[in-house]
Amino acid sequence: MKKALFVTLVLLLLFTLSSFVFAAGKTWESQKGEYAGKSITVLVTDPHTMVVQAWKPSWEELTGGKVDIVVVPYASLYDKMMTDFITDTGAYDLICWPSSWSGDIMGGGWVLSLKPFMDDYGYPNWDDVVPAQKNNLMWAGVVYALPYDGDCHLIYYRKDALENKEYQAKFKAKYGYDYNLPPKTWEEVIDVAEFFNNWDWNNDGKNEYGIDFIAQRKTQAQWTLLDIVMQYAAQPGVAPYFNPDTMEPLVNNPGWVEAVTVITKLAKLAPPGILGYGYSENRQAFVSGNAAMSIDWGDIGVMEQSEKEYGSKVKGKLGYGPLPGAKKTFNFKDNKWIEGYNQVNFLDFGGWIYSISKFSKNPEMAYKFGTFMTTPEHSLLDVDGAHGYTGANPWRFSQYKEIAKWVTDGGWGEESAKGYLGAIEKIMSDAKAMSDLRIPGGAEYYDYMDLHLADALAGKATPQDVCDAVYKEWQKITDSYGRDKQLKLYRESLGLPAK
Amino acid sequence: MAMIKKGTGIAFLVPGLAFLLIMGIFPLIWSLTLAFSKWKAATGVGKTFVGLDNFINIITDDPRFWNSLRFTVLYVMVVVLLELVLGLMLAYILTEKMRFRNFFRILFLLPMAAPAIGVAFIWRMLLNPEAGIVSKIMAAFSINIPGLLTNASTAPYMLMIIDVWEWTPFMFMGLLAAMQAFPPELYDAAAVDGASGWKTFWYITLPLLQPIIITLSLLRVIDSFKLFEIVFGVTSGGPGSSTESLSFYTYTVGFSYFNLGYACALSWVFLVIILAISNVVLNRFRKEA
Repeated sequence: MKKALFVTLVLLLLFTLSSFVFAAGKTWESQKGEYAGKSITVLVTDPHTMVVQAWKPSWEELTGGKVDIVVVPYASLYDKMMTDFITDTGAYDLICWPSSWSGDIMGGGWVLSLKPFMDDYGYPNWDDVVPAQKNNLMWAGVVYALPYDGDCHLIYYRKDALENKEYQAKFKAKYGYDYNLPPKTWEEVIDVAEFFNNWDWNNDGKNEYGIDFIAQRKTQAQWTLLDIVMQYAAQPGVAPYFNPDTMEPLVNNPGWVEAVTVITKLAKLAPPGILGYGYSENRQAFVSGNAAMSIDWGDIGVMEQSEKEYGSKVKGKLGYGPLPGAKKTFNFKDNKWIEGYNQVNFLDFGGWIYSISKFSKNPEMAYKFGTFMTTPEHSLLDVDGAHGYTGANPWRFSQYKEIAKWVTDGGWGEESAKGYLGAIEKIMSDAKAMSDLRIPGGAEYYDYMDLHLADALAGKATPQDVCDAVYKEWQKITDSYGRDKQLKLYRESLGLPAK
Repeated sequence: MAMIKKGTGIAFLVPGLAFLLIMGIFPLIWSLTLAFSKWKAATGVGKTFVGLDNFINIITDDPRFWNSLRFTVLYVMVVVLLELVLGLMLAYILTEKMRFRNFFRILFLLPMAAPAIGVAFIWRMLLNPEAGIVSKIMAAFSINIPGLLTNASTAPYMLMIIDVWEWTPFMFMGLLAAMQAFPPELYDAAAVDGASGWKTFWYITLPLLQPIIITLSLLRVIDSFKLFEIVFGVTSGGPGSSTESLSFYTYTVGFSYFNLGYACALSWVFLVIILAISNVVLNRFRKEA
């Protein structure tokens, strides 16, 4: 008996030791020739394919594996990805997708938990990832995605216009106050946009406009609206989407109506073709110098730096700041306006992230390629402009600090890099920054918002009608997914206890 | 012997029947069963039977369906009529003997040869409010209409123009082929009787063309009712929902919201509408014939 016990203990010890030895050999670092003869397929949109294209050759050379890239437009990504999942096709191993779809993708169980991979292989400097970004990688406390892009909207403004003393004096004479740099409220943005709209304030022989923003249907216009909604219908830590007790949409309360009113006013102070501005048009137009202000993710900052690549006429002329706030905000709990300044940072879109399809035939290989692309050294080159406009924006603490690299690798001016990174770091480090709606059906809720917003911008419906229409659709969507289930997940996403 | 022959006959039929059943009948029945189900495929939850709920919702509580149907019907009526008239004019002109006749015949066929999605992107670029050649030409004549595609009043008509540009050649080709097959004796006799060019067209050419006009129009009605690529490539249904066709809406419900039960119900409603319209068009032409 004793002998049997002894043998068992020895075997157990040997097994434990061998596990340690085996695990110690596993690392996130890709090894020479480890994937010879194998391949993975990466599904990605443009311009994010730039990052995959940048790292594919060196990784293929190192590991002997092959990376096939499938590029689809943003408008088709959800369809392609979900069709692949639903039909169990497994055509894609690694998928680059926006974290605002987490409710559908992670909640639907379509992608693999990365916990086993992170436990086995580790992840390059996980502590360097900003907490706001980590939160976007998780569902119910489990990591389902690799970080790759830190997303938030900034206000960009032309320093040569807004810092011009003569214009400032004229503005004060007309509006009776000095504007802030950057403008602090949406009311101020409207005044500044109106002041700089449709005249040649930079003496280049062409008229410039007040503001550029994304307004085209199906090209992320809803996030411009949400930037404004956050100020009029949310408060730090209080989300504006649903009543967390009843799951009744809040989208037609006076705060939302005010936000839609503001965006329709801004559309009149924008270039004539604003309703055709998707994210590409917005960025291209603004760096070509056609407006005094713009709202966008960090991409304009990268495109600002290169005249040769992006036709930038504004290098060194841009200022950067957090989203403007509002002079009042609507408190849905008391059903009344709160007078006074309100400013809510918002992590628009939540960043593009990489997940491994649950139908992937080579998940380990996909994980290794993902970690290879997102190491501190590699990812810095993806966000600082060294690889051009990739669509990826800073998401590691180290990326905010390495100003010198932004200057040498990305071609930034030091002052610009400091201003840009300072603004982004402030937003991304805000513990009360608001996240996107992260429940199943997120894409559908947002699409209806986008659809009806387009009606408002096209002048086909009043702000109240638009908000009422969205309310009706959101009710229907909630019912179609199951109200109780949605309520539970919504509360979970806000960090509230279950009812 | 007869039994063997019968058996051989059946054996030859089996592959064709099996193909038809698998590729044609099964998807039809499958989609019909889905139309009576609720299935949000993205959630990973299976489908549940909901009876007529999807159809009732479409009819009573879906303004987007009615909006897309209204746009699609208007679109079909305008484009098919314009394409028929223009195609007829072109075919009539190019049956006459003239210089470079063959060159023009080929030239007018080119738009139809281009893939629809390519046509959509070409026109999207042409009509771009800032970089597009159309707005630049208009600006040269001091005509300032910003955003032909981003204005809810003009965007539907822009799509119609694109369709007419692309599909008039189809009408032209069919009508030209028919005209070339007409017996010349009829025209000789009309000329001897002193019929004018207009009377010859009205009393000889047009009646002779009626069967081919019916066929071509019906094909175009059915095809343009399925309007998708131009909407997808040029406006994505916008601005607002002003150019959302029934096909595009069905696609959005099916492949953006993955509400597959509802999308199948929409598809069946779509099929019934097309069958009804085809029937009406056929009867109308038959009566007139």
